[in-house]
Amino acid sequence: MISQSFQATSRLSRSAQLLVSIAGLTLLSGCVTSRVENSREGMTGIRANESVVIMAKSYHVGNETEDKYISCVESALGRGKNGLNVIPHRTFVDSLFPWFEPRTAPAETKGLPKLMKRPGVAARIREQGVRYIIWLDGDTDKVAGGGSLSCAAGPGGGGCFGFAWWQKDADYDASIWDLDELESAGTITADVSGTSFMPALVVPIPLIARTQAAACKGLANQLRAFIVSEEAA
Amino acid sequence: MKVMLRKALPGALLALLLAGCGSSVTLDPPTIPKPLIESIPLHIALRIPAEFESFVHEEELLGNEQWTIDLGRSNAEFFEQLFGYMFDELTVLSADDDESQFQFDALVEPSIDAFEFSVPNQTKTDSFAVWIRYRLKVYDPEGQLVENWPVSAYGKSLTTTMGGSDALRRAAVLAMRDAAALMIIRFDPDELIRSLGSGTAAHEGSSSEDTDTVQVTVIEGDNGD
Repeated sequence: MISQSFQATSRLSRSAQLLVSIAGLTLLSGCVTSRVENSREGMTGIRANESVVIMAKSYHVGNETEDKYISCVESALGRGKNGLNVIPHRTFVDSLFPWFEPRTAPAETKGLPKLMKRPGVAARIREQGVRYIIWLDGDTDKVAGGGSLSCAAGPGGGGCFGFAWWQKDADYDASIWDLDELESAGTITADVSGTSFMPALVVPIPLIARTQAAACKGLANQLRAFIVSEEAA
Repeated sequence: MKVMLRKALPGALLALLLAGCGSSVTLDPPTIPKPLIESIPLHIALRIPAEFESFVHEEELLGNEQWTIDLGRSNAEFFEQLFGYMFDELTVLSADDDESQFQFDALVEPSIDAFEFSVPNQTKTDSFAVWIRYRLKVYDPEGQLVENWPVSAYGKSLTTTMGGSDALRRAAVLAMRDAAALMIIRFDPDELIRSLGSGTAAHEGSSSEDTDTVQVTVIEGDNGD
């Protein structure tokens, strides 16, 4: 009786170990390397009643920044007790229609004085307390990949065998425009490279590098530090 | 019965396969935000052409992929909203209405010169793009053509997890917003009032090159003045 109970416990223990191993492998992620740098052109700072807007540079000039990346940076900047007030970009663009459409938005800070003189524009920006517009440029691309992985299924079951990998690069630039001074406050660049792996021995085990998420978090942290660090609120 | 099934099955499978090669997208009428502009003090009659009531674009792409894009009343509602915001007073005329029965400062007749789109397979990107080339003809109350403008609008949207149809709809709406921005910039109140007041066809037959120059200036951040 004792022997049977021991064998059952041993089988349970082996199953648990297997599950833990699989879970551990699944939790492992691919390799990510990131570099975030900034270049300051002017003093910054933000008051409690001021806010920021995250915008994508125009697709008319070839930019392909993903909507979900903008939403990610918006969310990351606004999160936590040190979070900034972030106006959702679509709300901002609609409230100033048509002056921030891809075709009409100012491409450089020298277009800001003229824009602010348009009827109602300065007042609408002031109503929303927008102090900084952050223009994002860049995207995440798959730059390399390889390996071989094949799967098969039959009446008796199925499985996969092989090894595949791929590399993604996320390169984003953020230009920070100060709407009080009507000039550029500086730029931040985030270059993140991530390699994902998928070994498969019956069951494929994805080890995914969250490249874009790392670029989002890195850029948002740097943006927050850049904006709040210098001037007393 | 078995023989009938055996005969019908390949046909049904083929129909299923062919159905899989086609895509159909229906666009809900867009909502254009109220523009941040001063409305132009003119009473405009807007003639909505019959094609704007139910515009359907069908195209077979490379690889025999059949696309049907049904814009429905989108163009009609887009122009009605936009011109309602842009001018002090707006009278909407249908294709059959006799304009001589109405009072107005100018009659505007929009039409579509061309509608084009691209899908990710063609461009090897993750984007859907839509181009719409509208034409606006502006007549004075005597029926003389005073303006004739092509308006080339463009919208682009990345594919999302919601699928290609949503991205194509979004690209079409962005193209309409782009057209709205161009028209707001192009309708210079002083110039329009002057050309209507003088009764001369100052811009009649103006070439597309003229308008393209204006558009390039706008892209470069000059805001089009």
